[in-house]
Amino acid sequence: MVRKKFSKAQIILGISCTILLTFFLIFYIWHQAESIRIGYKTRQLEEEILSLKKEIEKLEVKKSSLLSLERVEKIAREELKLTSPEKKQIISDNLDQ
Amino acid sequence: MKNLYQKKIKKRTIILTFFLALWLCVLISRLIQLQVINYPRFRKEVIEQNQNKKIINPKRGTIYDRSGTILAKSLPVQSIFYSPLDDEPMDIQLEKINKLRQILHLSNKHALTIKTRIEKNDHFIWIKRKIDLATAEKVKNLHLNGVQFIEENKRFYPQQKLAAHIIGRVNIDEEGQSGIEYKYNSTLQGEKGQGIVLRDAKRRGYRFQTLKEPQPGMDLVLTIDETIQYIAEEELQKAIHRTKASWGTVVISQPFSGEILAMANYPIFSHDSPRLDRNGAIHHTYAPGSTFKIITASAAIESGRVNFKDQYDCSMGFISIAGQRIRDHKKYETLSFPEVIIHSSNVGTIQVGQQIGEENLYKTITGFGFGQRTGIDLPAEEKGIFRSINDWTKISIASLSIGYEISVTAIQMLQAVNVIANKGVITRPKIVKKILDPSIEAKKSPLQFKRVISEETATRLTSIFREVTKTGTGKEAQVKGYDVAGKTGTAQKFDPSTGHYSSRAHTASFAGFAPAEKPVISMIIVIDDPQGQYYGGQVAAPVFREIAAQVLRYLHIPPQKSLSEHIITAKYWKQDKK
Repeated sequence: MVRKKFSKAQIILGISCTILLTFFLIFYIWHQAESIRIGYKTRQLEEEILSLKKEIEKLEVKKSSLLSLERVEKIAREELKLTSPEKKQIISDNLDQ
Repeated sequence: MKNLYQKKIKKRTIILTFFLALWLCVLISRLIQLQVINYPRFRKEVIEQNQNKKIINPKRGTIYDRSGTILAKSLPVQSIFYSPLDDEPMDIQLEKINKLRQILHLSNKHALTIKTRIEKNDHFIWIKRKIDLATAEKVKNLHLNGVQFIEENKRFYPQQKLAAHIIGRVNIDEEGQSGIEYKYNSTLQGEKGQGIVLRDAKRRGYRFQTLKEPQPGMDLVLTIDETIQYIAEEELQKAIHRTKASWGTVVISQPFSGEILAMANYPIFSHDSPRLDRNGAIHHTYAPGSTFKIITASAAIESGRVNFKDQYDCSMGFISIAGQRIRDHKKYETLSFPEVIIHSSNVGTIQVGQQIGEENLYKTITGFGFGQRTGIDLPAEEKGIFRSINDWTKISIASLSIGYEISVTAIQMLQAVNVIANKGVITRPKIVKKILDPSIEAKKSPLQFKRVISEETATRLTSIFREVTKTGTGKEAQVKGYDVAGKTGTAQKFDPSTGHYSSRAHTASFAGFAPAEKPVISMIIVIDDPQGQYYGGQVAAPVFREIAAQVLRYLHIPPQKSLSEHIITAKYWKQDKK
């Protein structure tokens, strides 16, 4: 068994190829890891958007129920002691004429 | 020696590579067979074996009023189901249910049902559906194996009982049961999705996988105006309490478009009551009485058989037809045709009816849409009772002229009033303004109108009905500053036990529109069985006045006439911006 002797140029080429390959592999792994990380982040943000949308919808319903005319009238009459205007207190005029 | 060794190595390498390649080929082929060729079959088998297919209900569309106020909306809530583990002893499972029972306040009957289903080895058992978030959190904190959560939608009605008869209700699975919820169920519901609960070897559910995404339902915009509906409901409630009536209805519409602005009923029920399913405005039929003289007067003018100057002798206070005596509510002398309508004389109107003739009256009644459904987009509308001309008796023409021998719904009567307000054109009443879907919007057809009476006839009738509210039976319907046209009605109720009209029970009504010249709103008020005062002019006309005054103010319709000489009005002139 005789071991083949590599020239200096061959060794440099070999090492360069290995470094390049390692670099590509590291880059590939980093890229994959980063893609997955961004994927998780996107998914998390999507879920957050969805949950915020649901929250908005809940708030819309709550706003609507708080502004319901029955409730507004009850507060106006019972808490603020407001009354309906007398007929003589209403003056209408057609502003467009 | 070296060559022989290298050859041997090469041969072994080739053999090894061959077997490896062969193994790889077999592996790939098997994978293709499992994952590609047989995939649909295996997937189906797995789902079938699993027995945990689950329908995913889509988010139901929202219902808005014409100004965008939410009337009904579905929101996500949590539902709890139990999926038993195969090897778990029964006593541990029952212990879990007992823990849940305390937090979720389950009834004994419900708990027993759950236990029975566990014993039967059911793999999907509802514990409680549509619970609030706080309770769901409490259950989650127990960390009970097999107790799982699923997101469902629950219907919320933020305006509570407002317009409840129109909107209707849904069941636990969000399927429409009445009102708009029922009529537009397919539009609102969307398309159901499907999912499965994936399980591990111990049959523990570890994931819920969606097989088919649900398609959310479309939103609806109603023609109803929240404020006008509120005014109508409030005033109707006051009137019912004041008159101690059994029920009542108020329907307000835009005469030109036929759009219903408000449809109030009393008694009113909440969205979970099955009694909500009966909407008085379209389901309850009644004898219209004198409001039906609108039709008789239309037939009289349109047929050309009656002249405005024609005189009718009403001095007897009654008229005998086929042996039956029909009375006026008070004695009149000789009345002209407009006066007959203005004072709502039965004696005069019967003579007018006889002058018109059966054919003409029948043609006009059917032309106004009586005996047929109006086609309003609400479920189970009644068409009333109107007999064919062949079934008329000797007294029919007299009875029909004054609004008996016919039963109508409030919506039919409002449609008839709209014919006068629209200068002779009939419009179909509608309650859904639009479906928020672009494809349907594109197919939208223009409004179609059908002429029932001539414009001239309608104009002449309007002038008569204006007088009704000025000097006739409908004075109580006058709205200060506005010209109102309308007709009162007081009908004796039919008593099925005696087979005759009762002299004690009445239906009071008023149908009209305002302002008379350019109508913006038309309205019908029906009050059933008022106690004490019972005339339409006393019971229903004031309700018209109170509602119309508020609605016209709300719609920014300025008074046509000076309100009072004692009021000093300030005028504001806008300055042109240059």
